[in-house]
Amino acid sequence: MAISKIPTRAFTQQGINFRNLIINGDMSIAQRGTSFSSTGDVYVLDRFKLDYVGSPSVRYTVSQDTDTPTGQSFAKSMKFDVTTAEVSQSETTRLWTRIESQNLQMLKYGTSNAETLSLSFWVKSNLTGTFIFWLYQEDSTRSISKSYTISSANTWEKKTITIDADTSGQINNDNGAGLRVVWFLTADQSTYGSSSLQTSWGSYNATAVATGQTNVGSSTSNEFYITGIQLEVGTSASDFEFLPYDVNLQRCLRYFEICEGGKEFYLAGASNDKDYVQYSVKKRTSASVTKISSAENCASGVSVDVGSRDASITGRVVATNAFATGDNKYFEAKFSADAEL
Amino acid sequence: MITNVRYKKETRTLKDETEETITIGVLAEFDGVEICVPIDEANRHYQEILEWVAEGNTITDNGSGE
Repeated sequence: MAISKIPTRAFTQQGINFRNLIINGDMSIAQRGTSFSSTGDVYVLDRFKLDYVGSPSVRYTVSQDTDTPTGQSFAKSMKFDVTTAEVSQSETTRLWTRIESQNLQMLKYGTSNAETLSLSFWVKSNLTGTFIFWLYQEDSTRSISKSYTISSANTWEKKTITIDADTSGQINNDNGAGLRVVWFLTADQSTYGSSSLQTSWGSYNATAVATGQTNVGSSTSNEFYITGIQLEVGTSASDFEFLPYDVNLQRCLRYFEICEGGKEFYLAGASNDKDYVQYSVKKRTSASVTKISSAENCASGVSVDVGSRDASITGRVVATNAFATGDNKYFEAKFSADAEL
Repeated sequence: MITNVRYKKETRTLKDETEETITIGVLAEFDGVEICVPIDEANRHYQEILEWVAEGNTITDNGSGE
């Protein structure tokens, strides 16, 4: 069939037009692992971070879970299981993801043509009550908060929130963070809740960010699940945009990747040997590298570094003080490359 | 917490047999995990190191060493 004969709907019937500004909103990509217990800030499922403000005593196990809304096609959710409670809610913890500025230019913030946004997500908790969603512009330090209600305990509920256009904001056209998209778990009310909730765009006012937030950390019996997060331009929320797994992964790789490199060789003499590893996707910016594991039979150790080339494209595995000669020598390392926002 | 912060350098021999030492990044421990951080203000770890420096700390420079 000639290309001109292929009906247009063949390309559009799946409804994929990358309208969802959130990457990994279906919680399907988990390169760092599927369960996390941390005493401080930690990136969990891809593109999402558990953020501790100050030194909260509340602790969570964050995991990728298979408890999902029935009949909605989601395979995974993110679960927060409280392992150490903080009854007083005197500190703040929250889930966030950041959106790269150059992917937000269509919002036209700071102009009279600025766009309205619609946020939708599925949430479930044993708790009912008021919870706070917060959107923060990194470049202009403006923010808006919206409350949502969990009405029924232990029941998946879909929440939809409309976010006004911001004709006074500013999102730089670069590879930095443009929007911080935040769900509060706990919120110190003396810092983040002593004023009325700021439900319209305005200059950042900490006291009006999370007024009325229910304390997810109040008991070790508490759980909080979320999935199906979609942020899109428009005044109404559309169905969740499912991407093929490989496309979803590819988008995540711009910000984080697990790599592996090394050599097998005949080593002629003592030296520091090195192997550059090319990332499968060019990173948002130069990536930090962290060794996960290594092995060798020819050196005093194996390390990883950013090398002297473009660190958004390559990392490097280094055999330190390589000493052996002979056949079947090797060194190798697995490492992470991190260019998260 | 950021600790043990030092420049990551390497020396290489040029065609004329002279050597040059270049700084390729910063090694630092973030909550006990060693990370090699590129000198790039768009990198979130380097941003944290710059904040750490702004608090009055200094990145160790071991000359042509690590």
